[in-house]
Amino acid sequence: MEKLCKLESLSLRLGVKEFGPFSLEITKGEGIAILGPSGAGKTTLLKLLSHDLKAHLGVYQFKGKKIQDWSLSELSRSRAALPQSGDVSFGLLAKLVIGLGRISIAGDSHLVEIIEQAARLSCCEHLLDRGFNTLSGGEKARVHLARIFAQLWGEREGLILVDEPLASLDPGLQIELLHSIRQYALNRNHAIIAILHDINQAMQNFDRLILVREGKIIGDMPSGVQAVPSLEGLYNVHLHMVNIDGFGPLVIPKARSHAMLSSDGSQ
Amino acid sequence: MVFMLSGSVVGKTLFSFLSLLFFVLLLVFFSQFGAVNIELNDWLSLVNSSEHPQSGSDYVLWHLRLPRILFAICIGAALGLSGALTQGLFRNPLADPGLLGVSAGAACAVALGIVIFADLNISIPAEWRFWITPALAFSGAILVCFILDRVARWITPDSIAGLLLTGIALNALAAAIIGLCTYLATDEQLRNLTFWTMGSLSGSNWMLIVAIGVLFVLAWWRLRKLVKVMNVFALGESVATHVGMNISRLRMEVTIWVALFSGFAVSWCGMIGFVGLIAPNFARAWLGGDQRKVIPASMLLGSILLLLADTFARTLAIPAEVPIGIFTALLGAPFFIFLLRSSGRQIS
Repeated sequence: MEKLCKLESLSLRLGVKEFGPFSLEITKGEGIAILGPSGAGKTTLLKLLSHDLKAHLGVYQFKGKKIQDWSLSELSRSRAALPQSGDVSFGLLAKLVIGLGRISIAGDSHLVEIIEQAARLSCCEHLLDRGFNTLSGGEKARVHLARIFAQLWGEREGLILVDEPLASLDPGLQIELLHSIRQYALNRNHAIIAILHDINQAMQNFDRLILVREGKIIGDMPSGVQAVPSLEGLYNVHLHMVNIDGFGPLVIPKARSHAMLSSDGSQ
Repeated sequence: MVFMLSGSVVGKTLFSFLSLLFFVLLLVFFSQFGAVNIELNDWLSLVNSSEHPQSGSDYVLWHLRLPRILFAICIGAALGLSGALTQGLFRNPLADPGLLGVSAGAACAVALGIVIFADLNISIPAEWRFWITPALAFSGAILVCFILDRVARWITPDSIAGLLLTGIALNALAAAIIGLCTYLATDEQLRNLTFWTMGSLSGSNWMLIVAIGVLFVLAWWRLRKLVKVMNVFALGESVATHVGMNISRLRMEVTIWVALFSGFAVSWCGMIGFVGLIAPNFARAWLGGDQRKVIPASMLLGSILLLLADTFARTLAIPAEVPIGIFTALLGAPFFIFLLRSSGRQIS
């Protein structure tokens, strides 16, 4: 398996908070879920990976080249990121927003078709002619997802970073979109790294789990039943396992003490 | 003004042709208004005779009326353009070089120049003098742009209220410095100074039209590319970087164009408020948020707005002239309040 990126003790200080050192290797086409309690540094890790944040120490190799040696437009052909919330001003039409994913490509002759296909994949083709400001939270998330799809449409072996993509969607769409993302990434051998809050979704759809707590990676393991004890430690909850035919093992979180009751992992 | 409103080549050509026709009609129509009557004969003699007229109504037409109208159109387009660029840059329909203090910064630099340069008694070659005012105005404008960019993002990142409040502070500062200059100024300097606080197109002449024409040609060459990617600002900085745009370079370039156009407008016409605010908002209401349409359309609307305002300004109290800023403010201030109301949710 070929390596896509390699992080060597990347560390960063934001105000008084210290993050890292993060050391990590990511293989092409891998599906990774980042899990951890709120404020643990998941988004910071994702932003380091997308090069939104520059590490103060350590080396980040992306496709065999240091990340800072990549030009922005070059990087945009290999790396796409879906932010937690992305507002678009001036009420641009959804199709325009999706098309902006491909703005760094000069003379893009298939733009219109790609926009339509990307929109279909993220279940938002009926929104193409709507103004972005008129959309609901879930619809906005779908348009942004389509933008990501459009951005890496013709590419292979890239990296997709997603920050809580499904937080504002209904259950039916969550399943459908997770499936689309995985299928899209699989077809193109893109690696995908997603921050998730739902342990079951992470275990069912991703090959590998990275557990983050207090600014550090405290666990990195293939997803599966054997990860449950580490997950219990991560969230400080008791995870009750049930087996339902056709679903595989599911976990149901149960608070260990009242003080630990939080919304994390209890969707 | 005549570029890319629609994607297709046919649409483009048609649009260019229609705007040219519209432009000529505008010229003929608005030349009718004024103290001296212009007849069809004057136009004919203007077209037929090879030398420029020396007397009578065709003199008025050639040396006063025509340059005035063309100048109003050009300055209106410049104001509309810098307004549209500023709003795109700050992702905000309330941003306007006038409200944010960019024009005031330009006027302030010119005022300082008039008072201080004059006192220093440096002998400046005559051919340079013409360019000193715009150069000063440009540097004042660009200084304010950078302060806005830095301070507003440093104190209140991503906040519309913060940006507007920083603009208020800079406006007040510039007004204070201009006020200070009026105390230091001699009588002759004072006359020059009041011009900048009122705003007027009375300084129009063919040379200025050529100058702004050259600026527009240069801008067209660069802005063509810039306008295509202006939409990316709407996504916000981090997403724009993700899709491969060098946002700080883009921001710098847009800032320089805004400063150039507002500086130019201020240095020869003084502070004319609200055109840069109204034109892009009308354009957006008309054509939607796509900057590729909004920018040319707000140039068009800006020139129409300013032409209307200027025609009122110079004909309402013949032979006197009402400062044009009065009309643009009469139109613009209620509009601004209306805008505040509709975007109230964003501000708080």
